[in-house]
Amino acid sequence: MSSKFNKELQILVKDKVISPELADKIEQYYATKNLGKPNRLFTIFGIFGALLVGSGIILMLAHNWDDFSKITKTVLAFIPLVVGQFMAGFSILKEKSSTWKEASGTFLFFAVGACISLISQIYHIPGELESYLLTWIVLCLPLIYVLRSNAVALLVLILSTYYAIEIGVWNYRNTQTPWLYIVFLLAGIPHYWNLLKNRISSNTATIFNWMIPISVTIALSAFVGNAGNLGFLMYIAIFGLLYNVGKLAVFDKIRTLRNGYIIIGSLGTVISLMVFTFRWIWDDLINGFNYSSQELYVALVLLIIAFATLGYTALKRGFKKTNLFQVAFVLFWIVYFLFSTSVIMPVILINVLVFALGISAIKIGVDKFNFGILNYGLLIISTLIICRFFDAGMSFVIRGILFVLVGTGFFVTNYIMLKKQQKFKKQIKDLQV
Amino acid sequence: MKTIHFFIGFLVLVFVQFFVPIQMIWKQENVLVSGEAYKFKTRPIDPTDPFRGKYITLHYEMNSFIKNDTSYAYGDKIRVYIKKDSNGFAMPVAISKKPLDGAQDFVMAKVTGNYNKEISFDLPFNRFYMEETKAYDAEKAYRKINRDSLKENVYAEVYIKDGVSVLKNVIIDEIPIQEYVEQYNID
Repeated sequence: MSSKFNKELQILVKDKVISPELADKIEQYYATKNLGKPNRLFTIFGIFGALLVGSGIILMLAHNWDDFSKITKTVLAFIPLVVGQFMAGFSILKEKSSTWKEASGTFLFFAVGACISLISQIYHIPGELESYLLTWIVLCLPLIYVLRSNAVALLVLILSTYYAIEIGVWNYRNTQTPWLYIVFLLAGIPHYWNLLKNRISSNTATIFNWMIPISVTIALSAFVGNAGNLGFLMYIAIFGLLYNVGKLAVFDKIRTLRNGYIIIGSLGTVISLMVFTFRWIWDDLINGFNYSSQELYVALVLLIIAFATLGYTALKRGFKKTNLFQVAFVLFWIVYFLFSTSVIMPVILINVLVFALGISAIKIGVDKFNFGILNYGLLIISTLIICRFFDAGMSFVIRGILFVLVGTGFFVTNYIMLKKQQKFKKQIKDLQV
Repeated sequence: MKTIHFFIGFLVLVFVQFFVPIQMIWKQENVLVSGEAYKFKTRPIDPTDPFRGKYITLHYEMNSFIKNDTSYAYGDKIRVYIKKDSNGFAMPVAISKKPLDGAQDFVMAKVTGNYNKEISFDLPFNRFYMEETKAYDAEKAYRKINRDSLKENVYAEVYIKDGVSVLKNVIIDEIPIQEYVEQYNID
């Protein structure tokens, strides 16, 4: 039981809202309720301990001890593996708590990495980092399911992202595409889905709600290749997809801050569209691109998936509840393909779109009484205006007036909403009295 | 699902986790025991791998072949057929994308360029892991040797069988590189 909760109880007793007996009862109820659950803090420390020991072993082995014979090195390579497997097997067979499973899974994860790395050292096995990462991921991915371990799932996700950018971004002149990243991501989805179904409000689920969109956003850069223009199309489609995923009914129960899909999707959409409000980018685009490239297919597939997700939520909730952020990516694609031969038209349309996004964010903020979203909308509009200052030849007087207007807008909207909220609270209080 | 199902699944995974590294060892040992030994003239440089530690990158003197064929492009995997010269050093005989007839030894390589009828390639055994304190010294040792114009004496000892190549050691002046580095430090 947290001490904060106990303090609140004491205050309630002191202010005579509840009786001391009731406070005792409440305290006892929560104390017995959590009795069977494993200590969360203990699990976290277990994972961190295994993480540190595991990576420590990898570092020590990376020293490449020249004085040891080949046999000694080989035996050394297998010791952590055997220890990790023994602990993991023990925690499955004895049905140990999740603390055991998470910690032993984390340790085993690193032991596998250490073992194959030492073997490659001993025999100077060539092959780039990517093939090593690939073997490591494949050998550890099933651990997610046999141990039902969130820590291993997270480690596999991080390693897969590393694998994707190692192949597609960092590797100089490499023409490969990390298709296997998609396989690894899909392989983790059932575990994630299970987590969402059972414990969506938990911190663990929140970590995944943020890590998955972050990983996808990073890894997508590995699929862009040389066709830079198409990269923008891909990114706008993926941000649209992320936002729409965040709007799925499963996530209704959690707060926006726990929903990384919404935040990353929304920010990503606004930032990429903001780039397209400039004229020079459309000038560059007119030079055209290769319509038969692999990037175009990836972009199209992303668009179709994003569109399907949008369609699904729109059908479930009714079209009226769909907001502009959900459809922004479709509007962008339409503008892009209809008007990409002219310059002025798409620039105007995208400016209008970003402005509309700002307004719609303000509206959502007002409807929900959410100051964060309200100011986000205002921020979008002011950024748009600031951006226009760079390429529009307006006089300083007009620019000054615009700034004053936007600043006043910030004050006024926040003030109106604050008043509204106070009035609302007062009404509730009156009702209670 | 019962615990026992998870456990059986885990046992299968344990088997695979053992099988993969053991298979790696077996493949290398097989070549070391029954493969043919070649010498490749080389030049060592020292970088780092985040997980596997310090190694020296070996740049081989044998890195291109004269052939007038524009179909070879960056990234292509090719076979480099080799034979020994009178001193036991490897020299290329032919390169090809498909297997050639005749039981000659070959190594797999990756095309890095095709310019002026010369096809350049990277040999696969270009990493030699060393104790972290020694890798940079190895590079220094090579530079010294190079100054003293003894570079004919730096070569990699590679075992080859059925296209699989295993780098056994790097030799400087007839001494394994680890020992050479130790001696060089004493000097």
